[in-house]
Amino acid sequence: MNRFSLAISSGIARVTESALGPYQTAVIRIGFTATWLLFLLREFPHRQEMYGPDGPWGLDLAQQLIKTNGAFTALIWSGGQFWFEAVYAFAVLTSVLLLIGWRTRTMSVLFMVGVLSLQNRSIFMGDGGDNVLHLMCVYLVFTRCGQVWSLDERRARRTREARARGELVAPDRVGPALWSVLGFALIAVTAAGRLAGDLTVPVILWGVWLALGVWWTVRRRARTAQPRVLLDVVGNIVHNGALLVIMAEACLIYATAGWYKIQGSRWQDGTAVYYPLHLDYFSPWPALADLLSSSGTMVLLITYGTVIVQVAFPFTLFNRRVKNVLLAAMITEHAVIAVVLGLPFFSLAMIAADAVFLPTSFLRRLGEWAARARGRLSRLVRRDDDPADLLGPRTPENPEHARVGFTA
Amino acid sequence: MAALSLRYQIGAALALAVVAVAVCVHIGMVFLHVAPPNTVTKQHGKAIDDWIYPEFEQNWKLFAPNPLQQNIAVQVRAEIDVADGGVRTTGWYDLSAQDGRAIDGNLLPSHTQQNELRRAWDFFVATHDAQNRPVGLRGALSETYLRHIVRLRLDRVNAVGEGDVVERVQVRSRTTNVRPPTWSDEQVSDEATYRVLPWWWIPGDDQDATAGGAR
Repeated sequence: MNRFSLAISSGIARVTESALGPYQTAVIRIGFTATWLLFLLREFPHRQEMYGPDGPWGLDLAQQLIKTNGAFTALIWSGGQFWFEAVYAFAVLTSVLLLIGWRTRTMSVLFMVGVLSLQNRSIFMGDGGDNVLHLMCVYLVFTRCGQVWSLDERRARRTREARARGELVAPDRVGPALWSVLGFALIAVTAAGRLAGDLTVPVILWGVWLALGVWWTVRRRARTAQPRVLLDVVGNIVHNGALLVIMAEACLIYATAGWYKIQGSRWQDGTAVYYPLHLDYFSPWPALADLLSSSGTMVLLITYGTVIVQVAFPFTLFNRRVKNVLLAAMITEHAVIAVVLGLPFFSLAMIAADAVFLPTSFLRRLGEWAARARGRLSRLVRRDDDPADLLGPRTPENPEHARVGFTA
Repeated sequence: MAALSLRYQIGAALALAVVAVAVCVHIGMVFLHVAPPNTVTKQHGKAIDDWIYPEFEQNWKLFAPNPLQQNIAVQVRAEIDVADGGVRTTGWYDLSAQDGRAIDGNLLPSHTQQNELRRAWDFFVATHDAQNRPVGLRGALSETYLRHIVRLRLDRVNAVGEGDVVERVQVRSRTTNVRPPTWSDEQVSDEATYRVLPWWWIPGDDQDATAGGAR
């Protein structure tokens, strides 16, 4: 065999044998859900004005626009106040549950339903941050993003440990119940003709629901290991494909932002950064903006630096060390933008997207640090705690084996 | 995968092929969607749009090619039927200035302060011609949307007294250049330019819901 076909076959082995980037997909799961959750809580007092049936972008306006583009939103199914509050609460709840990784695959679908329902209801309310969340919530559905740092992982570990001790493990009841309830809801919604718009979302909803059914059946009933292994391989392939799409999407965001900037005269003459700092809508701290723009050389450096980093980023992925330096620079820049331009949720969403490129060693250290902090916290709360618990959730050495019952 | 029998291996290979094609097509479509108009997008624009819209739409020209260099303020005034008879025209309310004050010193500006009016005005401008005539359905929608926003904001600043009725509203935009940096020798005009829209009748609240887009 020559080297080329060897490389191909080892590549195929890699993408079929494991769901790559368990820590990276977990950290973006946590990042995007936390962003959306904080956003929903922050906008809670304004929810009626933004998405409510009697807001300025009234239900009739939304219905007319959606008739032309077929976007998915559960909010136009009814103009009732109760329905609106229920959908908003649903969006909050699903982001919490996906954040903590409870029934990850199912929750990722419901999280997507929540995000799309609110955003597509009032598309003129959002900005770049909403756009990032909109795309990523769809991509997340296809990933196995609960392999680490999730309740699913903990449940799978406990089941494994109980089996190892020779204990009898009761079959999972919650998963099938959840699947049945959601199945009824899906059939009802489809029968009522509510999914008649664009096909993307209905295909995802039905596809995941059927796949979970097949997954459960095969795990319970198949006589040989072969079908189960095949489904596992398919799950890995889909996960790895989605992970690639997420990374490509992040690169396209930076490439577009950077390459279009190069063409602008203000980015060329090195004054571009000065202007957003002096727009009324993006200057919460005028004194800070004045300070930042007091030196022309300073503004030039930031302006050129921004363009260079954005254009260069996709190419630096081929070199680990350079990539990490640029990643740190971009995360810092977004943290600054959050405060200086008053765009906290946009910045959070971008930082979450950046996190998909963080190195595994760093993420594991972050996980250990979080576990220790949690341990210390619970020690403060309950002094008589079992010391073994203080170590917090142990992340498995090899997360690829932390497959979870109902998260196909 | 090596542990699988041939039948299942074929299944896995098929899945790999399908996912690989889907991933390549999707990334390609998104690339063409965000790329400048080019030979391929001119030939296959319909296919690209069908794939992208509505759920994968995106725009990453963030402050590009040039950042906005003007402050665009949306202002409104109203003609009010006063409760004791007679008609009163209010002064101009600068709604964007109100937004600006709400954002000042705010660590967590709300979308209602930062995006709502700003983007509604962008939407209006993008769907109206120079004579402020709406273009298509979106033009009509943007007009109703803007009217609802200014109505809401007028109520919020108590522009309308007890028993008074807003008959008509007028919206205008006031555009001023951001002053060039102190170290620059560039000169820009300090004059504000206005875009003044015609007076709009305000239908009663019950009619309002059905009037949307019908104008």
